Amino acid sequence: MPAITVRVNGLEVTKEVGARTLLSTFIREEMKLTGTHVGCDTSQCGACVVTINGKTVKSCATFAWEADGADIGTIEGLGDAENMHPMQEAFREHHGLQCGFCTPGMVMTAVNLVENNPDIDEDGIKHGLEGNICRCTGYQNIIDAVKTGAKAMRG
Amino acid sequence: MSTFVARNGIGESQRRVEDFRFLTGKGQYIDDVNLENQAYAMVLRSPEAHADIKSIDASEALALDGVLLVVTGEDWKAAGYGTIPTKSGVRKFKDGSDLKEPPHHAIAIDRVRYVGQPVALVVAESLDACRDALELIEVDYDSLPSVTHQSEAIKDGAPQIWDDIPNNICLDFELGDEEAQKKAFEDADQIITLELVNNRVTATPIEPRGAVADYDAETGKFTLWNASQNIHANRDTIADAVLKIGKENLHHIAPDVGGGFGGKNGVYQEPILILHAAREIKRPVKWINDRAESFLSDTHGRDQVSTVQLALDNDGTFRGLRTETVGNLGAFCGTVGPFTPTGGSSRTQGGPFRFDAIYYTAIAPFTNTCPLDPYRGAGRPEGSYQMDRIIDYAAAKLGMDPIELRRKNLIPESDLPMKSPMGLDIDCGNFPAVFEKTIEISDRAGFAKRKEASEAKGLKRGFGVCMYLECTGGGPKEEAKVVFRDDGKVELSVGTASTGMGHETVFAQLLAGHLGIDMDDIEFHQSDTDATDIGGGHGGSRGLEVGGSAVTQTSREIIEVGKKIAAHRFDVGADQVEFEEGRFHVPGTNHTMTISDAIDSQNDPDSLPDDLEPGCMNISTVFERGIISIPNGGHACEVEVDPDTGTIKVDGYWVVDDFGTIVNKMLADGQVMGGIAQGLGQALMENIVYDESGQLVTGSLMDYALPRADDMPRMVIDYYEDAPTQKNLLGVKGAGEAGCVGAPPAIVNAVCDALKEFGVHHIDMPLTPERVWRAIQDAKAEG
Repeated sequence: MPAITVRVNGLEVTKEVGARTLLSTFIREEMKLTGTHVGCDTSQCGACVVTINGKTVKSCATFAWEADGADIGTIEGLGDAENMHPMQEAFREHHGLQCGFCTPGMVMTAVNLVENNPDIDEDGIKHGLEGNICRCTGYQNIIDAVKTGAKAMRG
Repeated sequence: MSTFVARNGIGESQRRVEDFRFLTGKGQYIDDVNLENQAYAMVLRSPEAHADIKSIDASEALALDGVLLVVTGEDWKAAGYGTIPTKSGVRKFKDGSDLKEPPHHAIAIDRVRYVGQPVALVVAESLDACRDALELIEVDYDSLPSVTHQSEAIKDGAPQIWDDIPNNICLDFELGDEEAQKKAFEDADQIITLELVNNRVTATPIEPRGAVADYDAETGKFTLWNASQNIHANRDTIADAVLKIGKENLHHIAPDVGGGFGGKNGVYQEPILILHAAREIKRPVKWINDRAESFLSDTHGRDQVSTVQLALDNDGTFRGLRTETVGNLGAFCGTVGPFTPTGGSSRTQGGPFRFDAIYYTAIAPFTNTCPLDPYRGAGRPEGSYQMDRIIDYAAAKLGMDPIELRRKNLIPESDLPMKSPMGLDIDCGNFPAVFEKTIEISDRAGFAKRKEASEAKGLKRGFGVCMYLECTGGGPKEEAKVVFRDDGKVELSVGTASTGMGHETVFAQLLAGHLGIDMDDIEFHQSDTDATDIGGGHGGSRGLEVGGSAVTQTSREIIEVGKKIAAHRFDVGADQVEFEEGRFHVPGTNHTMTISDAIDSQNDPDSLPDDLEPGCMNISTVFERGIISIPNGGHACEVEVDPDTGTIKVDGYWVVDDFGTIVNKMLADGQVMGGIAQGLGQALMENIVYDESGQLVTGSLMDYALPRADDMPRMVIDYYEDAPTQKNLLGVKGAGEAGCVGAPPAIVNAVCDALKEFGVHHIDMPLTPERVWRAIQDAKAEG
């Protein structure tokens, strides 16, 4: 098996991966970072979104070896319960999550949207979240959370 | 951190406790449960809608490196396991004979009856080995004729799904007075008839189903971690009825569950199969469905074809209502499947409107499709759709105003309490006030101007409204147990099942508010057969109504015991002690004792009166609801339709709900908005489609459309709070399902309003651009 070297949430690791190991499997089972979720097998739902070199990708539709040499960001790298990222805070404040399963992917996408466009408006947020499905909230509270999170990120 | 809650916990939008876990990737869902030395399982599913299994050859699969076990129907027969029973609340035909319940085994025995039915279970060292093994199992099928549509299934000569069930009919049903209905129809000036399809949909929680099974050969006990919403009842079925191991030998636990909406309520085959496998190989076994399998094997919902008839006078007065429904059951009886199109869809017929008489009748046939079981609302969305669509259709046909027609026929407050023609106990509410408030907040006054603006863009704008009547359901009993631990933490265990609804927060909010303790000290437990003796789990919007009442009841008993402890300390009668905001005190004296003092004293025999034992404040009670509550409300919706393309934009949405007391508005809003999104999905895009040979056409999220962020309008949610019910301790009326009860008719009514100038007065859901465009073209062609 070939080995890959990646930085996950800033920590460099080298591990052997199988030819058909998905990045989501690598993150969940090799790195034991189970905040990245798998909700579909057609890269539709977005529960598995992580960042590779600052760009969002659906890790269930990416082979682990494709990430060789890359910086990978997951929900665990964003903030913990005592010190949440402003976007995580905003999701809690606005009740932007219910079951929580889509949430890590949703938050990763939201942070990336704002990083790329700090002044993003409601239409931009709605469009930007098209690749992330939430079955619980009806999205309104998510959109409001992203607006608040964006404001906090702008400082 | 400290969080104290006032007013007995009622009325505060406490932010959620569970969010810290979910937002930081620390939630523990079923796929995060891993046991040492676990094996993996995958299911070989039937590619045939209806076929005899001539033979299964698993020898090549078993020879593959890493494959540990293959389970087939032959193994199941040899083991002598029982079938999965239905617990449908309606069990008799109209003529008094028993419902037809075919044997539902966890794995196909001799014949398959729907695409996706489990045919074999493969257990291996890895998922890759499972996948390879699935390819190597050879099943020889002998295809049989199949039928997927319920209206075809009941015809003479239709393919027989079960040899001994004529016309594939599992059950028929009636409710109401047919003679009175016929009389009302004779007396009425007009009878309007509409044929409706309530489309087949599926819950589609984003977390697929899964389970991990463990078996302890020394004790003979099983443990099952299961993404399920109904831990206690399903434990009983799996352990007692199917595996026959005794329910005391199955510890059933749900970890965090990633959404359910009813789709994770029932007893499924795969968890049973892996329990068997775990005992066979004496190792833990893990199984997780993928999304394609979810579409094939998660129970589906709705799927009713109905004829609705409304009899009314020329002045618009409603006289009678008749609904005839054929509701698809799939190939087997779901856990409560046969109840949905029969009893479940009958009770709210007629909505919050006055009628002389109502009659409801249903036929529930089997088809060669995945079984149906409750999906959010289970029968009430169907009833609401029938009622509010026939009103708008009648208004269009008779040249009346659908808003005025509703206003004229709403049950006035002075009629309450009343028994509805369907037997519902409507104790309180104010339907006209709810309706007027809905119209008021939806800015009807500004509609004309917005319509003009749409017209200028070549778009058609429409307004639709729905006045829904709901009823709650699910298990009537619930347990709430409180244990005060020595480390200062308070364990609260409730037998309900939250899959995102926020019980961890709202039940802690109630307990903290009642007792005056710090909410942050409360540890919440649910969905564990060891945590509570009984548990009604999820279903029928029962959480707050029954679980919240149980928490309240247990809190009150804790306070009563605390009063005795305080009375003992102050040497007064317990009836002289009062409790307020976390303190016991004797009025007219300076005697006070905090609840923490009382809790600290509960283990010290010297601090207790003779009739109390140490640990006396650790209390569990069971609350039992007498009669279900009646949530109700108004939905209003504005849409913009492009007549050239048939695309619909839902442009505004307003709701006024009567859920009685609102305990946590933020969570109630969340339930309503999520329900509206599911109702919008059903109205505009979601549709489970089988082709004529019984193959599932909509087998992925690329074929089955779910609403996304840019499909949703901004929703305004308001409440009518002046009618708390006396049916439970909190005055609440269940909130969980109402959103998807009201949304489909409101949206379809709005689209039909937009298209009325073309003569389009009805389109069956989902209102895809193609269907809308065709409806316009057809209407134009008819002139």
